Amino acid sequence: LLQTKEPLWWEEKLSLSPPTLEDPTDDWGRLSWALQQKGISLVWPVRHLLPELPRTLRAADWQVKVELAFLDKGLCELQGVKPAGREEGAWGVAVDLGTTTVAAELVDLATGQVVATAGTYNRQAAFGDDVISRIVYATETPRGREELQQAILETVNGLIDELCREAGVGSDEVRAVVGAGNTTMIHLLLNLDPTYIRLEPYVPAANAPPPVKAAKLGLKAHPEAWVYLVPGVASYVGGDVVAGVKVTGMGEEEELTLFLDIGTNGEMVLGNREWLMACACSAGPAFEGSGITCGMRAVAGAIEEVEVSPGGGEVFYRTVDGKKPLGICGSGLISLLSSLLRAGVIDRSGRFVEGLNTPRLREGVEGKEFVLVWGESTGHGRDIYITQGDLQNLLRAKAAIFAGLRTLLSLVGLEAAALERVYIAGGFGRFIDVEDAIGIGMLPDLPRERYAYVGNTSLKGARLCLLSRRAWQETAELARRITYVELSVGNLFMEEFMAALFLPHTNADLFPSVKGA
Amino acid sequence: MGLTGLEIYKLLPKKNCKECGQPTCLAFAMQLAAGKASIEACPYVSEEAKAALGAASAPPIALVKIGVGDRALAIGDETVLFRHDKRFEHPPGLAILIPDDEGEERLRERLEAFQRLCFDRVGQIHCADMVALECRSGDPATFAAAVKAVLAATDWPLVLISENPEVQRAALEVAKERRPLIYAATRDNWEKFAALAKEFDVPLAVRGENLASLVELVNQVTGAGVSALVLDSGARRPNQVLADQTQIRRQALKRFRPFGFPTITFATDPDPATRVMEAALYIAKYAGIVVFASDDPAEVLPLVTLRLNIYTDPQKPIAVEPKVYEIGAVTPHSPVFVTTNFSLTYFCVASDVEASRVPSYILTVDTDGTSVLTAWAAGKFTPEKIAQALRESGIAEKVVHRKVIIPGGVAVLSGKLQELSGWEVLVGPRESSGIPAFLKQYWQSN
Repeated sequence: LLQTKEPLWWEEKLSLSPPTLEDPTDDWGRLSWALQQKGISLVWPVRHLLPELPRTLRAADWQVKVELAFLDKGLCELQGVKPAGREEGAWGVAVDLGTTTVAAELVDLATGQVVATAGTYNRQAAFGDDVISRIVYATETPRGREELQQAILETVNGLIDELCREAGVGSDEVRAVVGAGNTTMIHLLLNLDPTYIRLEPYVPAANAPPPVKAAKLGLKAHPEAWVYLVPGVASYVGGDVVAGVKVTGMGEEEELTLFLDIGTNGEMVLGNREWLMACACSAGPAFEGSGITCGMRAVAGAIEEVEVSPGGGEVFYRTVDGKKPLGICGSGLISLLSSLLRAGVIDRSGRFVEGLNTPRLREGVEGKEFVLVWGESTGHGRDIYITQGDLQNLLRAKAAIFAGLRTLLSLVGLEAAALERVYIAGGFGRFIDVEDAIGIGMLPDLPRERYAYVGNTSLKGARLCLLSRRAWQETAELARRITYVELSVGNLFMEEFMAALFLPHTNADLFPSVKGA
Repeated sequence: MGLTGLEIYKLLPKKNCKECGQPTCLAFAMQLAAGKASIEACPYVSEEAKAALGAASAPPIALVKIGVGDRALAIGDETVLFRHDKRFEHPPGLAILIPDDEGEERLRERLEAFQRLCFDRVGQIHCADMVALECRSGDPATFAAAVKAVLAATDWPLVLISENPEVQRAALEVAKERRPLIYAATRDNWEKFAALAKEFDVPLAVRGENLASLVELVNQVTGAGVSALVLDSGARRPNQVLADQTQIRRQALKRFRPFGFPTITFATDPDPATRVMEAALYIAKYAGIVVFASDDPAEVLPLVTLRLNIYTDPQKPIAVEPKVYEIGAVTPHSPVFVTTNFSLTYFCVASDVEASRVPSYILTVDTDGTSVLTAWAAGKFTPEKIAQALRESGIAEKVVHRKVIIPGGVAVLSGKLQELSGWEVLVGPRESSGIPAFLKQYWQSN
């Protein structure tokens, strides 16, 4: 990971020449002139610095360190002046503001080292599982916006406390915070009205909101610390995705690359150093374990891999940490879908095959369902099963992802084979089996070595920006370069979506390496 | 075909300044490729790029305007063989054929009949929109008098039909302000017709005896400096017209310049049914103008409707009509399901309702063809809209009960919907596959 030593907050040593009768420049003028010599222009100084400035400069014998916060190209804020030579640490926090989980890192701004890492659930979940429910809550409930803002602030403050405790650092020693999140999350954090994000033509209040002071926002950090938010592209392609694109470097490289966040919003970015386009295919939360009867997140006890014997008589599975099974996580669902098809339990339209002779296939409250694990073997004593509705849900989720990618490709007149690299991001990406994902037609049938997992690139991108003023500027520029494609305009996406509602696809020629396709 | 978005993008300044109204240069390039923007919107594009784009994006088929003002007809500027590839741009003019030799009284009647050929189609008025005045009298004065009568009675554009330059001159003297189409330049008269078209600045129809002679004639006429042309291959039997229309469009799209103009066709069979079918064929297959030899509203209505349908922009969501659907032998006691008008959603619900063997009503709410959760997310499936659909769809007259079943995925709407509509709201299963079980449990026991 590229780490230049130009963090968004830093100390600059200055050796000022003492004033003389020939050079009676005022103290503030002398200081800012010295900075200008280094290419640093200041915005009006923090007022509280001026009263003591004359004594501070003289006490330090004109050898000072100034604390600088970067605001914009060549424009900085002076946050403190103190004698040179005193060694103190300064820290920054990078945050990935996820809809479901929030992750944060404490970073030593002088060395670039990550000194502590923490993650937790977003407390906004109490007001809705997905961004839409939260927008509705924020819009339709009195004080809803304040409640949601409070929830995310508490979440992030809790993490900062935890990080600082772990590293033995005071939270007022945190001098800069960079957050990356989807557009809705950023609106809710800043208490911007999110109403029009979800209403046609889907316009956010600001894709690139200016930084805000921690104290003003209510974040636990040095009160003068700026909170920077990675700019987004559109209502459903936010700074978390831009951060990811920045981290992968795809915007500077020649190879045609696809960046794919397999999550609820299903954001993807296609392009290279010449052009970039993005869309959000709204895959839904199925692969995050939500909206599936026995679905769960990929934590201990989640079935992460499944093999069904031909005819569906037996089921072999593996759980996270080898614990007794509690449910199925995203990778398990992909593996299951692929395996049920191979075993002849479901047909290519994702429906249970008629007349199968196995007790595992039974009639449930909502139609047919297939039992993976009987209650006696599970961690909670209840059967773990998959319903016809679950299967349709999964089919739609995988179809949305594939259709989004086909739509982007067709808008620029390219075939999937032209993809030289596919980066899979998101907390989910770690668990995904590319072979299974191709088997069900969720990912294009490319040589497997073109796929790479990149993990939580939102957090990595936030850290990169924290540690590099140049990266921050480039990321902002990157966000402006990305062209957002609205999939609900025209019927290209819908046609692709319908065609992908099949295992692996209605056009089997797209999946030559899938057996029997 | 034209350039792709990516090819156009490479010619743009890549400033992403948004001054064209698009957020990025790539977005602008994609709009250009889709024919939804003009290169003029970019203030920074270089002259070289403009020239390259201009040459590549020049329409394969010229846009020809007939008539003036609000009623002017623009035809041509088409870019595809099949509407689903992009869209058909300019609906063909439907020209009603009127002869000049039946006397003043009869002419007035015909013009009155013509003006009644306007129909309400989905809330808009669509009309037969041209008069094709044919000189059968052979007499310039008679024809000019008829032209005068047409101009006085209607402001729709005119096709003047006569191969006699003297007749056309007399008519043009009367009609020149209205920019009529003169029909037709042929091998014998083209020089005089080309001169007339230039003198009066009107579009000119050219008629060959076949495609080969049409090419020759077009080259002669364009060589003489006339650029607003409408083509007629001379074919009159429908199978030959179809073949010629197809060739003309196909070659034009391959940038064969002599065919880069809209066409005119004639549906004049004495048998009404055959006549209508001929005209329908020409509407579907590339005609710029269909001259139709009847003013019977019963014949014109289906043609106006077909023209509207064929020229609808297909880049619309895949939707079913928002209305009440009946599944099975419904009774006033049948359950009522409400869902969105996204076709995939509707057909899922319909097939699962069918599988339940309980005759039911399905009320689809207009959500611009989006699914239940998508429409909910975008604020298009609201208690207000569902209540309105319950009120205005006529479902209340079809059933005696007041129970409506909503999708489980939007259970949160139930309270407000109940309040707004006065209907008892039952929350159905999340997935339509649960409908049979749901009906067994909750409906039949009621």
